[in-house]
Amino acid sequence: MRKKTNDRKKKSRSRVPRLFLLFLLFSGLLLIILSSATGSRFGVFHQLTLEVLGPLQSTFTKLSLSTVRLKDRYITLWNLQEENDSLRKELETYHALLDQYREAYSRNRFLETELQFKKQETFPALMARVVGKDPSFWFQTLIVDRGENDGVVTGMVARNSLGVVGQVVQVSDNYCKILLANAPSSAIDAIVQKSRVRGILKGAGEQGYILQYVLKNGEVAEGDIIVTAGIGGVFPPGITLGTVSKVHSKRRGMFLEIEVKPAVDFARLESLFINLSEEQLVIEEMSHSPSSQGE
Amino acid sequence: MVTLSFLLLGFILIAVQTTFFYQFPHWLGRPDLVFILLVFSAYRFRWFSGLVLAFLLGWLMDVTSGVYLGTYLLLVLLVFSIVKFLSQNSSVKETVFQIPLVGVSYFVVQCLFYLFFTLTQPGALPPWSWARVVQETLILLVASIPCFVFFNWLFEKLTTRRLASRKLKRGGANRFR
Repeated sequence: MRKKTNDRKKKSRSRVPRLFLLFLLFSGLLLIILSSATGSRFGVFHQLTLEVLGPLQSTFTKLSLSTVRLKDRYITLWNLQEENDSLRKELETYHALLDQYREAYSRNRFLETELQFKKQETFPALMARVVGKDPSFWFQTLIVDRGENDGVVTGMVARNSLGVVGQVVQVSDNYCKILLANAPSSAIDAIVQKSRVRGILKGAGEQGYILQYVLKNGEVAEGDIIVTAGIGGVFPPGITLGTVSKVHSKRRGMFLEIEVKPAVDFARLESLFINLSEEQLVIEEMSHSPSSQGE
Repeated sequence: MVTLSFLLLGFILIAVQTTFFYQFPHWLGRPDLVFILLVFSAYRFRWFSGLVLAFLLGWLMDVTSGVYLGTYLLLVLLVFSIVKFLSQNSSVKETVFQIPLVGVSYFVVQCLFYLFFTLTQPGALPPWSWARVVQETLILLVASIPCFVFFNWLFEKLTTRRLASRKLKRGGANRFR
């Protein structure tokens, strides 16, 4: 009996703190509800809660956002790589196309100029394409795709819209070799277009031409245009040869030393015209030569 | 067969030299590949086949370069004979001397070429330029290294094939019968 009463006392003692705790919780809850019900403003606890939760939320948001961004970036990068590759290929294709168009455009312009030249000129011009250039740096010759079958004879003159190119020196059935006008062995009777001063235009290889035998009192200035004099009958008069680039007047000697820049760009020559009208003239000259007379 | 193959190679080289090389910038130069082939033939070919090859290479050069026919022919035969003689009778035959000899012979040939034209056709060539000749020689020296490697490889390939076919022909009969 005593034991039972003792157990009851113990139980009632342990219930007291529990009840107190429950009371505290209940009163706290009531306080929160009451403070919430009083208005829409945050109370101290709300603020405190938010202050604690805020940074955590912020951290998590940042983290999640950066994760999403990272994922997006990775996927975008993945896609970008593919896109980049395809764009690069596309760009390459367009570059190649652009090159083709540029080439076609410049070729078209060049051919237009040449066609205009052919229409303007009275001589029967045979167009020839340059197929090879001299491998040695001592000589200035070209090989073009026209020969005896096209009516080309040694001695014929080659020209283009810019001026004199050279003269045919060796011929085969379908090809011929042209000695360029800037070859040192070439000499053309020339005059200064403005002052009509005469001289001999000698080839100087890659340096262009040198106008020789012009007296010191001759009126020649830089920029003057040099044209063919038309003496000898090989070149008709008035064909452009080049422009005076430098005039040297040395103390000794009677003549000026005149450097002439060729009108024709020999390094970039792609095609030219051979003057077929001179065939008869060349054949006649050949038949009048002493060697043929002896025969 | 070997001579014919190398003649074909000469054809290709001259075509490359007269077309492709003109697309390159001037400072890169236009090495005379036919000259390299000529010196190589002097090292590796026998007198007769080498002379035939040299003659045909000179012929090709005459057709494609210059105005005075026969000049290259003469020059090429002279170069072949001198280099062949040197490579047979001196230490020049050693591989170490081969490339420098290409440069030296090219330089000498240019000098002789110019001298020849100065005496026979004055005014036919542009003025002598040390800088240009030295530059061309150096370019040729650089170009001769890969060229020699390739020519050597081709020569070995062709000669071993020829030897193998000869052995096969000889060994056709059954010797154990």
